[in-house]
Amino acid sequence: MGEKKQRGKEASSDGEKAAENLNMALEPSDDEAPEEVTFQDSRVEALRRLKEALDTERREKELLKEKRRKRQELFQEQKKRKLFPAEALEEMNSSTLKKQKQPEDEAEDDEEEMKEKKEKKKKSAHSRKLKGTYTVRTMKDQTSTFFQQQAAKEFLQSRLYGAGSCRTTSNELLSLQNKKGTNQSAAVQFVRKDWACKEKAKAEKLKKRWIHKQRNPST
Amino acid sequence: MGEFKVHRVRFFDYMPSAIRAMAFNSRTERLAVARADGAVEIFNFSDNYYQEKVIPGRDGRAVEALCWVGQRLFSAGLNGEITEYDLENLKPQYVIEAYGGPIWTISCNNQGTHLAVSCEDGTVKLFEILKEKIQFQRNLDRQKSRIISLSWHPSGAQIAAGMMDMIRIFDTETGRATHRLLVERGVGASKSREVVVWSIAFLSNNTIVSGDSAGKVQIWDGLMGTLVRTHLVTKWDVLALAVSQDESSLIAGTSEGTIVQFQFLSSTVDRQDRDHEWVRTRTFKNHSHDVKALALTDTAVVSGGMDTQLVVHPLLDKVEKNTQEAAQRKIAFPHRSLVGCAKKAGLLLFQFPDHLELWRLGESDGNDHICCSALSPCGGWLVYSTVSSVRLYKLQHNNNISVNKVRPQQRIIQLRSVHQLCFSADSSKLFASSSQSSVVVVALNQLECKYLQTLRHKSGHSCPTAVAIHPTTNNLISVHADQQIFEFSLQQKEYTEWSRKLQKQGLHGLWLKRDTPVTSVGFNPKNPTHIILNDTFMFCIIDQSLPLPESSTILYNQMTLRSLPAPERTRQSHAFKICKNFQHVLSMSLLDDLSLVVVERPLLDVMAQLPPPVRQKKFAT
Repeated sequence: MGEKKQRGKEASSDGEKAAENLNMALEPSDDEAPEEVTFQDSRVEALRRLKEALDTERREKELLKEKRRKRQELFQEQKKRKLFPAEALEEMNSSTLKKQKQPEDEAEDDEEEMKEKKEKKKKSAHSRKLKGTYTVRTMKDQTSTFFQQQAAKEFLQSRLYGAGSCRTTSNELLSLQNKKGTNQSAAVQFVRKDWACKEKAKAEKLKKRWIHKQRNPST
Repeated sequence: MGEFKVHRVRFFDYMPSAIRAMAFNSRTERLAVARADGAVEIFNFSDNYYQEKVIPGRDGRAVEALCWVGQRLFSAGLNGEITEYDLENLKPQYVIEAYGGPIWTISCNNQGTHLAVSCEDGTVKLFEILKEKIQFQRNLDRQKSRIISLSWHPSGAQIAAGMMDMIRIFDTETGRATHRLLVERGVGASKSREVVVWSIAFLSNNTIVSGDSAGKVQIWDGLMGTLVRTHLVTKWDVLALAVSQDESSLIAGTSEGTIVQFQFLSSTVDRQDRDHEWVRTRTFKNHSHDVKALALTDTAVVSGGMDTQLVVHPLLDKVEKNTQEAAQRKIAFPHRSLVGCAKKAGLLLFQFPDHLELWRLGESDGNDHICCSALSPCGGWLVYSTVSSVRLYKLQHNNNISVNKVRPQQRIIQLRSVHQLCFSADSSKLFASSSQSSVVVVALNQLECKYLQTLRHKSGHSCPTAVAIHPTTNNLISVHADQQIFEFSLQQKEYTEWSRKLQKQGLHGLWLKRDTPVTSVGFNPKNPTHIILNDTFMFCIIDQSLPLPESSTILYNQMTLRSLPAPERTRQSHAFKICKNFQHVLSMSLLDDLSLVVVERPLLDVMAQLPPPVRQKKFAT
């Protein structure tokens, strides 16, 4: 019952009659008559919703503007410090991922930033190496062509190697050949090389330490 | 032959790149092959299938399709660009954006007037072929999904395009799509996925042949827009199709690595025309992984794919049986050396597309791949070239290796398209090949350079595959793709007595039958009459002081000679001492201390690192 009433209320003046008819068509046996909603009410309702939509849009725009301003400030700050902290890198990374909204604007920002950094440091090429394993690349490489190319590659990859492609490994193929050949032999890679990487690395470290100890018994 | 200490090197983990596309030019007998790393190779089918030219790749430039227009070569890739190559200087001549998103295929009409490219955004774009460039003409009607393959009708009036779940036929004049042929999806689990028409061919009698991801080869009537016949050839995808020039035979390549042949035959005895239909005839299992590119020449089936090997399989009904021509050829390694050896210093240089391994140094500039590299015999100089530049480095090795980049003179920087580099035996000069068969000589102490005009390679002769200058006699030894050997005296400017004697007698039949080219020539510092050659499956020491083998003598006689008594041995010895102990040899050099360095690349190691092949359930496995 309540449902019907709500439907009636929310319909705009044009759709109101249609909604009412629909209601009546659906449940002709219902005793209660639908509540009448005045034209005024529904107009107010429509206007309110419109305003709300405009408001949210404006709010989002403000938010974006704010974010951009903050980022610009951050970059200015960093330029002064001549250092490029990891958070900014993360932000830039997340901005490349969040490409949908305004990829061009962001690209411009980052490219500008990169250009300035480049001039300052007088380093060539598109990427720079930082401390550790971070690399910074210009947005010039990450245009829409790049993303389209990536999408096309992914399509190919998923069709040929994705789910349902029924594939095995080269190792298995060769091992089967060994098994069925005239001179039967063991599997090509008897132990999977990518198994237990961490344990192997740990063992390697311990081995090195032990050898070092053997060489310098004083320590 | 003598005994050598051998350093057997197997840690050069060179990985060849998968074959993505190929195009055969029947007029010039050249096959163009595009690899996954963007490199384009040209093989000369009339010169013993020699890999004549290699245009190195570039990071981020992968080629999806190739096409010849007369003697011009074009390619297109997922980066949305069409490239025309400069085959003289071995680099891209220009690049033009198609603005349709990633390009899936490119094809030229029979008349040679227009290029059609099919794009991710659903358009087929037509480009007019002009003298020095191509120009966008117009789009055909835009479609809703990507266009993966296309084929011109021989008349040029229609284009058949393979898409997702369907084939469209376009009228090239109006640009309108005239027919829509619906392709059935696979059975079972594949029914929920769209079927991709990976390849398509339009024949002159208006038959369309398509290969799709459901493993079907379908024959369609292009006039009526109806399906004539379906052949299910594999459980996996049919990735490539090729049709012979006379349209009597066609081949389909699958993800299983098989190639299925169909022939246009008559089913009745009278052999009337209207009874002809496409009948499945032979199946070739030439590859272990997906076949992505095919070509059907007059005499052979040429295929390539994810297992990186180029296979030429002669059709036995087109060639004389039991001849050299009838043998299947597998080209697994490049026909030029990727390994440099500093003979005096005992250093090795491994060439990869994007870096050199001496002790892991020298990242290439930008994203251009390395064409060729060389290490001086003393180990003091390292040079490599890319499409755009030549780099020279001075090495100092006391306990560690330190590298200093040398800033060469202007003229050397301007050297472009250098595809051969070699140091003189005393490490004082660097020879670099340049365009128009000239060689630039650089003196390495003062870094001056003077131009030296060498012999122009006579056209009509087979291409040289390995060349070297003897350190003492100053004779130039060259070995060619047809396995001929020449010795030329640089001082007298004529062929030597020995060379003429060899030509007169002719090389042994078995020598000429070898199917891999000689990739390097070297010399023995202790014996000036020795010439050391190697190809992928053997190495040979030619002793110029011994008699040449006649056609009736046994060529590979080293094993038998060992068991003979001394006088008999000297009587039967001939000049060609061949050793086949090492297989898949990428390079071989003789160091100054008379030890041999053999760099092998076992095919098994390459195969173990290839991407996943399809899984076939076989009994008892």
